[in-house]
Amino acid sequence: MERRIGVYICHCGLNIAATVDVKEVTESAASLRGVQIARDYMFMCSDPGQDLILSDIKEYRLNRVVVASCSPLLHERTFRRVCREAGINPYLFEMANIREHCSWVHDDGATEKAKGLVRAAVMKVYYDEPLEPMEVPIVPNTLIVGGGIAGIQAALNIANAGYKVYLVEREPSIGGHMIQLDKTFPTLDCSACILTPKMSDVGSHPNIELLTYSEIDEVSGYIGNFKVKIKKKSKYVDESKCTGCGLCFQGCPVIMKNEFDLGLADRKAIYIPFPQAVPNIAVIDKREKRPCEAACVDACPIHTNVLGYIRLIAEGRYKEAYGLIRDTNPLPAVCGRVCYAPCEEACDRGQIDESIAIRNLKRFATDQVNIDELEVPQITKTGKRVAIIGSGPAGLAAANDLALEGHEVTIFEALPEPGGMLRYAIPEYRLPKEILLKEIDYIRRLGVEIRTGVQVGQDISLAEVKRDHQAVFIATGAHGGIRLGVEGEDIAGVIEGIRFLRAVNIGEKISVGKKVAVIGGGNTAIDCARTAKRIGGEDVRVVYRRSRDEMPVSSVEVAEMEKEGVKIDFLTMPKHFLSENEGLSGMECIRMKLGEPDDSGRPRPVPIKGSEFTMPVDTVIDALGQVPETEFVQELGLSLGKMGTIEIDHKTGATNIEEVFAGGDVVTGPASVIEAIGAGKRIACSISRYLRGEPLEVEEEELGEEKLSKRDIKDLQNRFPTQKRVEIGEEPIEERVGDFREVTLGYTPSEAVTEALRCLAGQMEGCIECHECERRCDAKAIDYEMKDEIVDVEVGSIILATGYQQIDPSVIPQYGYGRYDNVITGLEFERLSDAAGPTEGQIQLKNGQPPNSVAIIHCVGSRDKNFHEYCSRVCCMFALKFAYLIKEKTKAEVYQMYIDMRCFGEGHEEFYERLSTEEDVKFIRGKPSQVTDRALTEEEKGKLIVTVEDTLLGSLIRVPVDMVILCNALEPTADAENVARLFSISRRADGFFMERHVKLDPISTMNDGIFIAGCCEGPKDITDSVAQAKAAASEVLSLLTRGKVEIEPIVASVNDEFCSGCGLCEKMCPYGALSLAEPEGVMVVNQALCKGCGSCAVICPSEAISVSHFTRLQILGQVEALAS
Amino acid sequence: MSSQNKMAEFEPRIVAFLCNWCSYRGADLAGTSRFHYPPNVRIIRVMCSGSVDPVYVLEALVHGADGVLIGGCHLGECHYQKGNYKAMRRVEMLKAILHQVGIDGDRVWLRWISASEGGIFRDTVAQMVTEIRKKGPNNMRKR
Repeated sequence: MERRIGVYICHCGLNIAATVDVKEVTESAASLRGVQIARDYMFMCSDPGQDLILSDIKEYRLNRVVVASCSPLLHERTFRRVCREAGINPYLFEMANIREHCSWVHDDGATEKAKGLVRAAVMKVYYDEPLEPMEVPIVPNTLIVGGGIAGIQAALNIANAGYKVYLVEREPSIGGHMIQLDKTFPTLDCSACILTPKMSDVGSHPNIELLTYSEIDEVSGYIGNFKVKIKKKSKYVDESKCTGCGLCFQGCPVIMKNEFDLGLADRKAIYIPFPQAVPNIAVIDKREKRPCEAACVDACPIHTNVLGYIRLIAEGRYKEAYGLIRDTNPLPAVCGRVCYAPCEEACDRGQIDESIAIRNLKRFATDQVNIDELEVPQITKTGKRVAIIGSGPAGLAAANDLALEGHEVTIFEALPEPGGMLRYAIPEYRLPKEILLKEIDYIRRLGVEIRTGVQVGQDISLAEVKRDHQAVFIATGAHGGIRLGVEGEDIAGVIEGIRFLRAVNIGEKISVGKKVAVIGGGNTAIDCARTAKRIGGEDVRVVYRRSRDEMPVSSVEVAEMEKEGVKIDFLTMPKHFLSENEGLSGMECIRMKLGEPDDSGRPRPVPIKGSEFTMPVDTVIDALGQVPETEFVQELGLSLGKMGTIEIDHKTGATNIEEVFAGGDVVTGPASVIEAIGAGKRIACSISRYLRGEPLEVEEEELGEEKLSKRDIKDLQNRFPTQKRVEIGEEPIEERVGDFREVTLGYTPSEAVTEALRCLAGQMEGCIECHECERRCDAKAIDYEMKDEIVDVEVGSIILATGYQQIDPSVIPQYGYGRYDNVITGLEFERLSDAAGPTEGQIQLKNGQPPNSVAIIHCVGSRDKNFHEYCSRVCCMFALKFAYLIKEKTKAEVYQMYIDMRCFGEGHEEFYERLSTEEDVKFIRGKPSQVTDRALTEEEKGKLIVTVEDTLLGSLIRVPVDMVILCNALEPTADAENVARLFSISRRADGFFMERHVKLDPISTMNDGIFIAGCCEGPKDITDSVAQAKAAASEVLSLLTRGKVEIEPIVASVNDEFCSGCGLCEKMCPYGALSLAEPEGVMVVNQALCKGCGSCAVICPSEAISVSHFTRLQILGQVEALAS
Repeated sequence: MSSQNKMAEFEPRIVAFLCNWCSYRGADLAGTSRFHYPPNVRIIRVMCSGSVDPVYVLEALVHGADGVLIGGCHLGECHYQKGNYKAMRRVEMLKAILHQVGIDGDRVWLRWISASEGGIFRDTVAQMVTEIRKKGPNNMRKR
């Protein structure tokens, strides 16, 4: 078909015509091959210009058109439309860019170049082929990235129109920077008040799917049909279960800086960033794996949150540490003294150097609170009555937990005072009675009634107790002393150990002779020996039938005893006691040797024949052990085991009689305090379930024993330098053995903090995985095992509203940010001024005092060649707002130090006027050179001095102030570059996202279907951000309303005749658009996947592939036109 | 002296293949910013630097161009993922071939110019014109 080409040269007013001789270009064009008519005109894009083309097409029967004017990015669409109207295929049109690429950039030579460009365009159009645009449907969903005001507004506009929106926000809550602001200029609206309704609308909107704590991982596809992978970072909290109640973070021991308050306030490792957060769901800030296995918690029978309270001690939060301990342990002050501390044995630090002194730290925490002053929580009564028999650790622990559940608890105690063994067996030098009584008193304050001096089975029958209560817990312990069963045991002077300790503890007159022998090797024996030493025993010896290694007691206890002068006769056993004048005179002993292991696993002591000897003694104390005294339970028919222990179901604590439970020493025989507390707590739990009518048995999580490998230990040793534990202070030995004063002194705060900092979990950042939140969460929403998740969505369009960040002013050292406490940023001021902020709205200096004078420095990092050349656009106005707020809340003088005041929006100039006249704010035109604390005069002492040239006065002045606020520049977010890459959009030289055309196509980007709104496009105020958001929403809605979109038919196609099916193109294609067709053996293009990049065409050895509108012929035509 | 005059008079002809997404727009920005540069460069718009066939470059040189500029997006910013990497490898190969047939490979420049780098486009053209001018006319030019 004959080429009939029309060429039109645009003057663009003088934009082109001033440097390009358009007449000459027109003349030269007229002579080109196929050109029927060449004209020039003032404005080709105007209506008359377009009409000119239309009429020429008719008159000259043109079938191809070239316009030489501006960039095709500006008007290609306009002229293609004109062609289409005239019946010419829009792809038989070309533009020569003789403005941007020619007249605007050249003087001499512009005409010659324009001729060349027109020649090339004519050549191109000569070879152009008609193409039909492809129409694709638009997926009716929209992705919005960024949950600040722009993202929120755009999401609401689109969702309100009835379309689905995915709103992705990186932080745990939407709200962006705006929610951090106190007031908004110039109307002084409360920022949160106007934003939070929109935030909650987003949170509850049926068309908005909110993905917080999420980031975009991958984007593919094209306008109308984007496929996006969203990475949902694990919150470790199940969003469907969390109610936002906040119980979790009350318990969390890890204190971190709250980003929302810019570090001016703290938050926990599990947190909700601010009260109005949307969604109102907690997040765990988990940053690293804990270096140890927290074996301490597993080893503790009641799983006390050891690492949690140690962390709190390290942070100096002693009262909170106590609270955390008290939450699981009803007798923390007792355990801080007498617990055998299985946690310390398990502590992983023990494998590096020495285990943490956990018990001492616990005692320290309890020493910091006055138990009498502790508040009692509100408890809702259930009306159920529970009886507990015995007020030892098991009984008290159960009473505590049951009372907190709201049950009415009565403890029956046979002895005159409560506490059981704690009161009657453990000597005062280890556990002062006063402390025990305080802890018991607190349990009383929870509503527990303790009836002392009432022996069940004697003063009241067990059946009666059972009748009057819905459940009974027997925790009578093991108070019956075991006797040796040898001749002479009834001689006066041979005392049973537990009776001896009880007598001393209640102040009964009891004396020992000078030579005292204590029989046994356990805790009771040691307590007896040290007590005997204190009441007059001079030569006190412990007689034990095995060796030191077999003693069932901690080596520390033994060492303490030995320090106090008690000797131990190992491998020795009394055979019988000798009397003289009805008194004890000595005991005959026999030496032992160790034989084969017995049932307990320890070597059996075997007597050595003929080794008998006589030991002269005045007093002997039998401390062989105890057994429960359980005669009183027989009336109900409870089944008993060996040694009189009560038999129970070990999972539930239930006896063979309904309603009756038992636990502690009465079940196990003599054990430790913490084991008794553990039993009490477990059974309290069973009883509660029983009273609620729930099944007693619950699946208990098996705690796997996770031991560190040798390699782990080596790594830890490399990571943590050896640091020995801090030893606890003690009373001097000579003095303490004379009375019953407490032997250990307890840590000082600095000792405690030093020791607490040794804990490996204390060295971590973020969550230490103590599981405290999990324990507290009623909704069972905590999930430590949660993993990051990838969510795939399909969307038709995308709005980026990723916002900005503010420059860190410490890069401008002369302003002293980071060095001077009272040099703060604008955003920090917003938090100070906010009534919900860290100071509850008090504008104050770091020392808590209100400032007497404040300097506000404008343009910090903006309009500055060293940092950002652009104007940040909002600072003048927020600086005026700051001045207003300071004047409103304090009596301070305010200085504005500015370069130019730019107050261009609605009501802005009026606000400026008001501040500068009515409010007496001082305006100094000049950019400060320095902020310093070096005073030159008396008046400047203790102040921050701002040196600034007042350019209106023409002189350098020094302004002494208390506070300096830096209006630091808005800049692109640190990851703006990555975001731009991810979405294939461009950035301007200043780093903000680039619009398709700065004047005529804002909001749009070069990548069709992707729009930008808010400060990711450049600094702007809320008003403009909202306007852009609405504009972006309208672009999206316009696409959605059309329902389909035309995309350029620039795709590859294969000429079957030349294709050999070699498959090279397939390897080159990034979209997988090429494949081998069988049985033809040629490649085929999936045009829905092809994006027209042309990689395939280049690689094809037989030139069988070409990309429409950019064919070989079309390009080479231009090459020929331009090169020759 | 006369040869020096001749050199001064020599105005090299440069053909530039600029990708639609970055470099072409960078050249547009140079225009809207009114950054002046020598008029020796003639621009052909292509979709991607990775679609520039070495044959195009050879043809340009054969037809008389004294230099060829290929402009693409910065590495990692290609609109088509990796097109600019493909261009990079291809240009290296092309230079080796040019060397074999006696053409100075440095007549072919590959540069990454983003849509915001109007100034860099100007500087690149100015520099290239200076460099090619030093080299003198391309001896492949059809006589």
